[in-house]
Amino acid sequence: MTDTELVAAFAITQAKRCGLDEITPDELLLGCLRMISQFGIVTFGRWTFDLEALGVDWLENPDRKGVKPAYSQALVDVFDLAARIAKADGANGIRIDHLLVALWSESGLMGELRKTYGITSAEWRAAAVQLSVARQVKEVEAPVEKRESVRDYLSPEQAAEALGLHAQTVRAYIRSGKLPAMRVAGERAIRIRREDLEKVLEPLG
Amino acid sequence: MANFVVKRDLPGITPEALQSAGFRAKTCCAEMTEEGQPVRWIRSFFLPETAQTHCYFEAPNAAAVKEANERARIPFTHIIEVMELTPDAV
Repeated sequence: MTDTELVAAFAITQAKRCGLDEITPDELLLGCLRMISQFGIVTFGRWTFDLEALGVDWLENPDRKGVKPAYSQALVDVFDLAARIAKADGANGIRIDHLLVALWSESGLMGELRKTYGITSAEWRAAAVQLSVARQVKEVEAPVEKRESVRDYLSPEQAAEALGLHAQTVRAYIRSGKLPAMRVAGERAIRIRREDLEKVLEPLG
Repeated sequence: MANFVVKRDLPGITPEALQSAGFRAKTCCAEMTEEGQPVRWIRSFFLPETAQTHCYFEAPNAAAVKEANERARIPFTHIIEVMELTPDAV
């Protein structure tokens, strides 16, 4: 599940917990806040929200039995708006920051937060920008280790891409013995060790 | 499990509204599966000329598909059980 799907799952669970027939923007907002919280504390922009004060038991194991709530029309409108914001952002899908921006003009819980904290639209959007940057940095950093571990052995095409050469050139290097390579046992496929790539490079001067 | 097509008339719908509907379908199916009633949205085809959408679902029965679409609040006109044919199977 993506983070956005987890937010929706939490919103549904929250509606169930409250015995609601419909999931409203309030539950979605709580879902977004919970997703970016730690120990029930949400730091978003210049604000700190306590999920407990907002009626969320962040430690509770959700009970999924009982009512089967549907998305309310108000929430459908929020999702539609979030999809438009995601498109304007050039994103592939709807993210939490898009949902938070789409929720800003809602009444209910969002209206109360706006009033209590004097939240302006620009401040809220700026906080969403900060959040998206922070989450994207995390995403970029996370897969580095994995990327390296799965690419210890390269195909001639991948080796060519890594070296910035044509695949034919790399195959010629392999034939001439300039670049060590191995054949996958019993197969035609050829693999080159990443660390061997440097053998075809020599320092200038 | 059986396969179903859900037919919808969605005149004037935007690609973003379709994305929103897809997200709602996906999350409601996931929730129903968690509840012990497995429903899976497989894929959809939008027919621009007629503004119709055909969405394919996998579920034990039509009632489960209907419930998923109602909970996702996506309007539909028909839910019909279909037979799946793929090039690999013929």
